[in-house]
Amino acid sequence: MTDDPVIEATGLGVRYSRRGGWALRDCSFGLPAHRVCALVGPNGAGKSTLLALAAGLLRPTEGAISAPPREETAYVGQDKPLYPQLTVDETLRMGRELNPGRWDAKSAARIVQEGGLDGGARIRSLSGGQRTRVALALALGKRPRLLLLDEPMADLDPLARHRLMGALMADAAENGTSVVMSSHIVAELEGACDHLLLVDGGRVRLSGPVDDVVAAHRLISGPATALADLAPHTVVESRTTGRLLTALARPNGPLDTDTWQTAHPSLEELLLAHLRSPDAPALAVGPRSAEAVRA
Amino acid sequence: MSMLTLKGPRWVTVRQHRRALWTLPAAVAVSLAVFVVLRRQAAGATPRTGTDPFRELREALGYGGLAALLLPLLVGAFVAGPMVARELESGTYRLALTQSSTPRAWLASKITVAAVTAVACAAAFGLVHRFARLPLTTSYEYSWADRGPYETLGTVLPAYCLLGVALGAVVGQLVRRTTAAMAVTGLATGLVMAVLGAVRWSFLPARTVTSPLGAQFPYPPRDAFTTDFGLITSSGGRLPEWACTRSGSLDGCPAELNVTGQYVDYHPFTHYWPTQSIETAVVLVLAALALWGAFAVLRSRHP
Repeated sequence: MTDDPVIEATGLGVRYSRRGGWALRDCSFGLPAHRVCALVGPNGAGKSTLLALAAGLLRPTEGAISAPPREETAYVGQDKPLYPQLTVDETLRMGRELNPGRWDAKSAARIVQEGGLDGGARIRSLSGGQRTRVALALALGKRPRLLLLDEPMADLDPLARHRLMGALMADAAENGTSVVMSSHIVAELEGACDHLLLVDGGRVRLSGPVDDVVAAHRLISGPATALADLAPHTVVESRTTGRLLTALARPNGPLDTDTWQTAHPSLEELLLAHLRSPDAPALAVGPRSAEAVRA
Repeated sequence: MSMLTLKGPRWVTVRQHRRALWTLPAAVAVSLAVFVVLRRQAAGATPRTGTDPFRELREALGYGGLAALLLPLLVGAFVAGPMVARELESGTYRLALTQSSTPRAWLASKITVAAVTAVACAAAFGLVHRFARLPLTTSYEYSWADRGPYETLGTVLPAYCLLGVALGAVVGQLVRRTTAAMAVTGLATGLVMAVLGAVRWSFLPARTVTSPLGAQFPYPPRDAFTTDFGLITSSGGRLPEWACTRSGSLDGCPAELNVTGQYVDYHPFTHYWPTQSIETAVVLVLAALALWGAFAVLRSRHP
């Protein structure tokens, strides 16, 4: 297991029309291999654009992105594109026909069977959750080195989401697959992901291992009069309620524990604070070596 | 044969469109059945004097020939709409283009499947037509040069089908909406057919027969296709055939027109295959250009 990035972007920018705004701009980041990476951001942040670039469906307007070749990459789009007139069995056969030499019929069939799907049912007759299952079976049957999932669980009920996520993570762990998964449901990602990429307004706001990114931030509360003391630190967001000041900050040195009460924020608190403060500076934490993570 | 085995993207294309792909052979089979019945009727009938025993067969052939002219338009519209634009419109292209097979293979499979089906059916329909026409070879009103028979009995119909497919492949990608792409492709293919149909009898120089003024109009050979007739003046110029009567005198032409004779321009039947060959070549060149354009657009959009 090496720590070479599976996706590496430098100065990436995408503009869909000449006059339109930029869907992505100045994005530079690396995503480590063999990890599950969460691509987080509000609607319209550029998550789908980023995944389409990694899947080779789009050419960047500027900059460059390096990702594994198409044979080693699987992609599941947000709307789970499938041919409605084909049956489930025909869809899996299509996976075999379009991925000669790679197709793993057994694991694809297993995912479909676990959902209790009838192989003769046409895709157009399936529910959203059942379509998600077929789309994931098609993606995993390809035995990808990189699995790109755009809002994979959005149309699943909580139980199905939990089960399918478990199956997905087990499969990825077993085969050492790198997974990049976009979502705006933070609860879906917490615990499942070990790398974070926060995209907002077409730019990368946070990037790095989840633990390191969380560890770089503190939830701080203290007297409002002591606001000036926070000047040496990077304050992401601060709020004053009466005489009490609460803030999310990246400490750039020791904090005076007599004045301030500190706590580690949850991933959700961290992300929401960043989304509420679009002007907070970006943070990129370099990926640690695999040994350091294990230790 | 490896082009035709149903594997990979070609299997997917056939699976997706199998119903539509079956309609063409079915239409050819139906037309064959209809013509067999009509030919039997015509052969068994005892015509009363003054009626044409082949009237129904002739009419059916006329409609069949015109329907065959729609084939390239329909095939082109099918490639542009249901095959290409619908994938781009509904987003299923993201499924197809993220598999191991390349975008090139994705587009090529659609083009191959549509082209093979359309050309085979156009050729088969030509044979059906040839068979149905046998009793009419000595009859009038169904000339080898008429629109319909001209295309159906020759090589231009399959060529126009290929042009339709190639135009559909490029238009479907540029106009990414199903119905709009179908309409644009149908119009473009029809336009090329109309333009080439209007100029095809200028590919080869027409032959001319003349006769002196006052004599009967000259007769071209029996199986010839008459393109023009009129009057010749002493200076060798040509006037329309109504120039004399228009000037008021009923017998003979006014002297100031200097009419000395009459002419008829025609194409002999020997011009049929050369004209077909030239038109087929032009259509195939256009189809090749459109095909090149289709893959150029694909390359520029999908790495």
